[in-house]
Amino acid sequence: MSKHMAEWLNAYLDGELRGIRLHDVEAHLAECQACQEELRSLQGLSALLQEVPVPEFISPERIAAQVNLRLPHRIPSATKRKVIETGWWMIPVSLMAVWIFISTASLVSDMLLAASGFGLLSNIPVWLISGASGEAFWSATLGQFGILSGNSLQWAEVIEAFTRTTVPQITWQVSIALLYLSWIAIWWARNRLQGHGQLLES
Amino acid sequence: MTFPSINETELVTRAQNGERNAFSELVCIHAQGVLNVIYRMCGDTQVAEDAAQETFIQAWLHLSSYRPRTSLRNWLYRIAVNSATDVLRKQKRILPMAMEDFYLTDPGPGPEALFSQREQAVLVQKAVLSLPDASRAVLVLREYEELSYHEIADALDIPVGTVMSRLNYARSLLRNRLERQSRLQVEAENV
Repeated sequence: MSKHMAEWLNAYLDGELRGIRLHDVEAHLAECQACQEELRSLQGLSALLQEVPVPEFISPERIAAQVNLRLPHRIPSATKRKVIETGWWMIPVSLMAVWIFISTASLVSDMLLAASGFGLLSNIPVWLISGASGEAFWSATLGQFGILSGNSLQWAEVIEAFTRTTVPQITWQVSIALLYLSWIAIWWARNRLQGHGQLLES
Repeated sequence: MTFPSINETELVTRAQNGERNAFSELVCIHAQGVLNVIYRMCGDTQVAEDAAQETFIQAWLHLSSYRPRTSLRNWLYRIAVNSATDVLRKQKRILPMAMEDFYLTDPGPGPEALFSQREQAVLVQKAVLSLPDASRAVLVLREYEELSYHEIADALDIPVGTVMSRLNYARSLLRNRLERQSRLQVEAENV
């Protein structure tokens, strides 16, 4: 039967074929005696299967009553489930909020520092611009003690300024991004498990 | 269906919130289908009733993981098939017809009985029970519950292509076994 359409006859019998495939099978069946015979055989088998009766079971109400008696007393807590569910969805929201807050704070701090540098603002509280401060305290200290001087002192000041301003921002953003990606990965895995009901497999 | 007017989604939500009465109503709605599937899988009334109860208890325990946008019937059928398979694994008495047993079955008292509908039904049922679990599950859901290929794929968590191949295999195997059984019957009559 391999030259014929034997592999599609089951799907044809079950009404599962559409479009071109259906047309092809019907066209083939119109001409092929062997496939017609095969289809009749499948129809006969299906009819034979329908002849097997099911016995009389106990009533659904009785099943329900018996199940009810056997149900564990541990009732799923709706409140607990809702709290967990809300908490779960709050994770990405919180991460986004933290990211926006840090980015905004950093931006505002930079702007204030720049405004202060141009003399547009005076008496800015230190805490507002401390995060963006580019001052190189440690390099200056090392320079005062004569440990660093000349080009090496300038490099040390640049590196320290970079470390004090940019590295914390990168660290924050990478951490938040990693947490967010982890949440997405867990959400995807959880969704897939729930969708397929795999927890029910033994 | 005992409560046709009540929205099933609402019942599920109430059951997920711990309402036993709502869950009982869902049991009433789906009990017959679940019993049929398990009986077709294992061929024993008492075991089917026990396994159906087990199915609904498992459903209750895992109801929080069920998403109402998918078919509850298909979800329950999946648990039912798993329950039936578990029961079959634990209680070897139910599946009496291993393939060898099937072929060695006493051909019966005579041609009259052989061709009686009841005898034929018994033979067909034995042939179905002799199929591998995975193929039998697909065959049962298609032939007796009339699920579409996509619904079977959803219920058993397998691709549609696998549904097709398992169904082809099950029907082919079933035909071969029934034909062989038929030949044995004829030979037995001629002896």
